[in-house]
Amino acid sequence: MGAMEIVNFYLVPGIVVGSIYALGAVGITLVFAILRYAHLAHGDLATLGAFLALAVVTLGGVSPYVALPVAMAVTAAVAVGIDRTFYAYLRERPKIVTVMASLGVALMVRAVVQIVWGVDSQTYTRGIVRPENWFGIRIRDRELITVLAMVGLVVALQLFLKYSKWGKAMRAMSDNPDLALLSGVDNRKVVLLTWTIVGALCAAAGVFLGLNYELKAMMGWSMLLPMFAAAILGGVGRVEGAVLGGLIVGIAEEMSALVLPTEYKAATAFAILLLMLLVRPTGLLKGKVL
Amino acid sequence: MKTLRIAALAALLGATALAAPAHADVKIGLLGGISGPIAAMAPAMIDSANLAISQVNEAGGILDGRKLIGVVGDSACNPQNATDAATKAVNLEGVIAIVGPHCSGAVLAAANSVTIPAGVTIVTPSGTSPEITTLQDNDTVFRTVPSDDYQGRALARTLLERGTTKVAVAYLNNDYGKGLAEAFRAEFEEKGGEIAGFAAHEGERASYRSNLADLAAGGADTLVILDYGDGSGLTMLRQALENGFFENFVGGDGMKSDAPIRELGADNLTTFIASAPVGQQSDALEVFNKAFSDIGGDPNAIFVTTSYDATFMLALAIEKAGADKSKVSAALREISNGEGEPILPGEWAKAKELIAAGTAIDYRGAAGEHNFDEAGDVPGAYALFKVSGSTFEVIAEME
Repeated sequence: MGAMEIVNFYLVPGIVVGSIYALGAVGITLVFAILRYAHLAHGDLATLGAFLALAVVTLGGVSPYVALPVAMAVTAAVAVGIDRTFYAYLRERPKIVTVMASLGVALMVRAVVQIVWGVDSQTYTRGIVRPENWFGIRIRDRELITVLAMVGLVVALQLFLKYSKWGKAMRAMSDNPDLALLSGVDNRKVVLLTWTIVGALCAAAGVFLGLNYELKAMMGWSMLLPMFAAAILGGVGRVEGAVLGGLIVGIAEEMSALVLPTEYKAATAFAILLLMLLVRPTGLLKGKVL
Repeated sequence: MKTLRIAALAALLGATALAAPAHADVKIGLLGGISGPIAAMAPAMIDSANLAISQVNEAGGILDGRKLIGVVGDSACNPQNATDAATKAVNLEGVIAIVGPHCSGAVLAAANSVTIPAGVTIVTPSGTSPEITTLQDNDTVFRTVPSDDYQGRALARTLLERGTTKVAVAYLNNDYGKGLAEAFRAEFEEKGGEIAGFAAHEGERASYRSNLADLAAGGADTLVILDYGDGSGLTMLRQALENGFFENFVGGDGMKSDAPIRELGADNLTTFIASAPVGQQSDALEVFNKAFSDIGGDPNAIFVTTSYDATFMLALAIEKAGADKSKVSAALREISNGEGEPILPGEWAKAKELIAAGTAIDYRGAAGEHNFDEAGDVPGAYALFKVSGSTFEVIAEME
């Protein structure tokens, strides 16, 4: 097998799917860092975002790229609404209660998607798109856009966290909640902001997943494990770690087909997660939380 | 405390007394993959089962004028949900027999852990795995759909006859995909064909390009996909087409779904063929087609005939067995063993009279005669389909 084939059929798909994992993992890592629990409804929120974009595409007749910001905004609002309705109520209780509640929220969100959009596989645009050939590397426009959008969103998020007042407040909450509260950081606003960002990132992950593959009611749920693996691999609480983790998990999954029978591909994320927790539980970039 | 316990006990006793009045309705379970990978096929299958139930109720009901009730449960096409749904149907709802579950893995799990121990007869309209044949089931597991052992072998022979001698096989890593793939491989190799790639894949993944690249490395230009057309089968087909890994595509019955045509477009599927069980042309099939069309159903949808037959036959068996669940399986064999007065779909009143008079009856189903063999299986007829316009069209009968 030539080097070009390895790039085209193993590396490129790995990077694309890794970018989508990265978008999801960044959201997971933010929730972990600031609110300090594992959010199991993350995948299904991504599904919701993808289907909201589908609604905009079918009703408005626009391209999915135009629908993306709309879906991000609506999903952000839904995420804030879910927090207000379910998680806020449990905030003073042990975190495991919220984790379990998020599993319930996951089921509810999925059920809503199934009721509204049905259970059939759907796509934003019908038909198939053959990849373009760039000097031997076969890549499609939407794959390129997926990777670029992921990089753009993450850079924007990093700049926001680093330089803006509220970004600093979020980091302060993540570093030491008690100290942050004492110095006058408004907890409610930080939580609101976190969910807005997480909801928007979820929707982006969902839309890009739907754009590159298909929209299914279970699409987000089956992404949850690789996304968690990516967040933990990179170091929980580190945005750049989540991106690195996402890409590694994505590429490792695709590359595993070279050496392992393909039915073990799905297990690669488990294996990485397990190995990382054993060898270096703080993650590659030394996570701040776990 | 003691009084409280006695009160609670009394309340429980009262509840059981209420739950079992003298002339209870007769319940049968309808377990199907309402959510999960075959969610797109399940509604039509449940509708056709309900058609049989409503025909029974309209023509005088079951036994001494009782109502037959179908209790729908979601087996979600996976073993855990099927076990839960079967437990609920058997222990809480108190069903006397079950139509379903729909998927092979779900059938095996529900049968082994729930219905065989409970002695409840189940008839699956779509569980096609060869594994079901070998279940130690005390004769309680039946199916109205032929085993994939037949389909896999028929597909292998048909491909060889059509001049395809080298294929790669991608199958879904579950009881359905594995059973079909093994049967296909055995026959294809025995008859001189070459399998240039044989790999399982997990469902619901985003990318299958590396799987496809691996399979294509064997040098075959035909890919046999044994998966569901609404699930990962669609993703595989799309990525294989987009990247030009293979030229020709062959699917099993799971791939004969509208989803690939709808999402990929018929223009892109000119080299795609799929095999599926077909009802032999018969009066029974026409009667069913008309009745199902009248309630707005599509009689060409997959597994609707087998679902209808499974339900109607169980109703006949219950009528004959007299609501005794331990006698249902024996009665099921008696009402369709090739001997006796023929009964067509929907002929409930006639069947009821004959059973009451003690005359032997023989149900001729929409999907076939359904004369069960020792394992509770039925032989099958298959056809090869190609995409034509927005639907599938028969191109050849399969031997």
